[in-house]
Amino acid sequence: MIDDKKRVFSTSGIMGRLFIALVVLALSSCSRHNAGSGKARTAMDSTLVIAMLGDADYLNPVLGSSVTSSNIIGLIYPSLLQSEFDTATGLLNYIALEKKLRETTSGEAKKTPKGAVAKSWTMSADHKTLTYILRSDVFWNDGKPVVSGDFKFTYTLYGNPVIASARQQYLAELVGAEKGGVDFDKAIETPNDTTLVFRFYKPVPEHLALFHTSLTPLPAHRWKNVKPGEFRNSPLNIKPLGAGPYQLKSWQQQQELVLGSSPKSDLPKPGTIPLITFRVVPDYTVRLTQLQTGAVDVVENIKPEDFTALLKANRQLEIKTVGLRVYDYVGWSNIDQGEYHKSGKVIPHPLFGSSRVRLALTHAIDREAIIDGYLKQYGVVCNTDVSPSLKWAYNDRIAPHAFDQARATALLKAEGWLPGADGILQKQGKRFSFVLYTNSGNARRNYASVVIQQNLRSIGIDCKLDVQESNVFFENLHQRKLDAWMAGWAIGLEIDPLDVWGSDLNKSRFNFTGYQNPRVDQLCDLAKQKMDPLGAKPYWLEYQEILHRDQPVSFLYWMQETQGFSKRIEGEELNIAGSFYNIDDWRLRPSANIAQ
Amino acid sequence: MLRYILKRLLIAIPLIFGVLTLTFFIIRLAPGDPAAFFIQPGISPNVAEQIRAQYGLNDPLPVQYVKWLASVLQGDFGRSFSRAQQPVVEVIASALPITVTIALLTLVANFTFGILIGIISAVRQNSFLDRFLTVTALFFYSMPEFWFALMMIILFALKLPLFPTSGLNEIGAEGFGSVGFVLDRLWHLVLPVTVLSINGAAGIARYVRGSMLEVIRQDYIRTARAKGLPEKLVIFRHALRNALLPVITIMGSSLPFIFSGALFIEVIFAFPGMGRITVEAIFSRDYPLIIANTFISGSLIVLGNLFADVLYAVADPRIKL
Repeated sequence: MIDDKKRVFSTSGIMGRLFIALVVLALSSCSRHNAGSGKARTAMDSTLVIAMLGDADYLNPVLGSSVTSSNIIGLIYPSLLQSEFDTATGLLNYIALEKKLRETTSGEAKKTPKGAVAKSWTMSADHKTLTYILRSDVFWNDGKPVVSGDFKFTYTLYGNPVIASARQQYLAELVGAEKGGVDFDKAIETPNDTTLVFRFYKPVPEHLALFHTSLTPLPAHRWKNVKPGEFRNSPLNIKPLGAGPYQLKSWQQQQELVLGSSPKSDLPKPGTIPLITFRVVPDYTVRLTQLQTGAVDVVENIKPEDFTALLKANRQLEIKTVGLRVYDYVGWSNIDQGEYHKSGKVIPHPLFGSSRVRLALTHAIDREAIIDGYLKQYGVVCNTDVSPSLKWAYNDRIAPHAFDQARATALLKAEGWLPGADGILQKQGKRFSFVLYTNSGNARRNYASVVIQQNLRSIGIDCKLDVQESNVFFENLHQRKLDAWMAGWAIGLEIDPLDVWGSDLNKSRFNFTGYQNPRVDQLCDLAKQKMDPLGAKPYWLEYQEILHRDQPVSFLYWMQETQGFSKRIEGEELNIAGSFYNIDDWRLRPSANIAQ
Repeated sequence: MLRYILKRLLIAIPLIFGVLTLTFFIIRLAPGDPAAFFIQPGISPNVAEQIRAQYGLNDPLPVQYVKWLASVLQGDFGRSFSRAQQPVVEVIASALPITVTIALLTLVANFTFGILIGIISAVRQNSFLDRFLTVTALFFYSMPEFWFALMMIILFALKLPLFPTSGLNEIGAEGFGSVGFVLDRLWHLVLPVTVLSINGAAGIARYVRGSMLEVIRQDYIRTARAKGLPEKLVIFRHALRNALLPVITIMGSSLPFIFSGALFIEVIFAFPGMGRITVEAIFSRDYPLIIANTFISGSLIVLGNLFADVLYAVADPRIKL
């Protein structure tokens, strides 16, 4: 019997053999891989690999709305103008082959004017007509010239409600838009292949006119037979025909997208790196690991807490920063939302209705502690929604509201909020207690909200925390259902805050707080009427003073966006306008030259 | 038996249809808006409205339901909202091969190792080997998959760079030739399949051990041994066949897994499989894709159960269908 059992136990012999077979298979595949790794290394030497959180949606400038899509579209398609962010002033500059909107003050221009299809432009004296003269020496990848008709054709697509382009707002000043629909025959004229005329129904500042008329074109000869109803489903969407420095080589959706340098491109030239691969890697930890092992070269949005370990593990990496474009804030409902939904009447919120209470809350929150604890040198205290990077408009005379809990308590006392029996502030029997909502999956906001909760507790305010699934959270926010929340904004490079602070609560869809101040509306209007942005500076300075005083929300911190780069990349210039700002000029050092 | 199978299949039709109808209403009642992405500053308020009109979401719910029903009855599950209007069928067709490859490899490894370990533990009950295998199996069984996967990546891709961290192929794998390409793919599958199968095999081993222990104490096993049959024959022919009955249930219920994908593994190893598609569809409120995925997993659960019942009859002649 015992002997028999031993024999049975020899089944482990089978298992052993199986194990050996597996090990052999694994090793043979490894060695096979090593045999191919010479090829792999050559492939890596000519390929830049960028890890992405999500895939591109459409490679069509009319439809593409994800950041990844915009980055890729910018490399494939021609652009009418080159735009450049001047770090010395914080102003956007527009460049044609032979003309610039303004001279750059921060040294040499980073963008070559050869990337622009426009040779020059003229703005009429009444600021209602913008005429572009186009180059005649630029061609789509199929050899057909890029002509003014391509631009007009694509603008009709941008404006077509059936296509529902996310960029139709750019057409809002064209002739006919004031009556509800752009009159394309009058608004855009193409007297010949190299002349393109835009007509506006009202005077438009030159920089805005340039911004709004330089949307990316599609080749009309390729797309003209596609019906608007079928535009989104057209197979042409996955076979983009462009004229830029790169062209699409392959696209396995949700896996990887490969761009190859376009040998004939003259806008401005074929891309320097032969191949750029965008790889979808949804998990953050794995993106980090891949950056560490050298499987990818660029990973965006690395969390500050991971820097030290990352740089220690691989000396061939560096962290680059861009900003400041993104800030977090704690939103306080200024008005009683329940009453507003019920009767449309605007009455102050019982807790946060007074600007003095909101000011006290800002004083009570230790913003520096959140920055020191989480963002470190990559965060800056935020005063208002005008970024310090927009130097021309930024009000540097405003001193941040200091962390001062004694002052916060005094302000609250003056408003009638006194400690109750349980230590929580009370006013006419109402306790100062509320729920602070935020969206799930954001470690930074989680960290900040815990600090805020403790800060407020120490002055006698009961703040409960609740995390909601992102879709639910943003829907509640849009429907103005929350009293207090923590969220953030990424600002545009043109200042246009009316959507967020405008007094008309029906029109200002993003005024979640219900803040109303007629002077802010007025300042925004006055600034828009100035034909030169610098002329609007006094309005923006006053605007910041008002927000700083009224504290419609407690602004927390501006954040640098932090990107991990392999040092084998050379020549990269990161810019507030984007991390891949001059990617067509990047170079790769061959692997042999990288010291391990 | 054929009649039985047909009957079960006929009952399945209204069942799956009911599940789909329920899903249709639940996802539309849940908060969130497929056009929410287009509600942001700088985008005209008309856009979200136009997008909703394109998706047919402005119609009253009953109208939407009738329209949806009409197209589903014609076999058309519509176009995905979140994936550039790709037909849902295409989205699924591109993800299925990846998921099925991983799942089949995993299942084979699961059952092979699970059954072998289970038999050894049972036959050598209470020995050091049994205790060792039991503890090891429990250790892996109770380990969260996503954590185990990350640990494997740190160990075998970062500390000992033997395997790739993620993806299905190396950059430039197209140039390796077809054999090289397949080997490269297999090399990329080693870590994920190992994670999934170690986890699964441990569970199966526990089942097999339990039912084997019960079976080898039966009289007929003693009889078989008394007849002088070799122990190998006793264990594999007489005991195992009976001990595998509960395992068949697990096999049947594994069928949906083959097609529905392993979410954590797909996210961590960056495979665009069914699990990721389903979860991303839910987060972006991609109604057509959610419904199509529900259809697939719902049908497979029903089929899996049917499959298990049929296998019972095959394995045990006493069970009549």
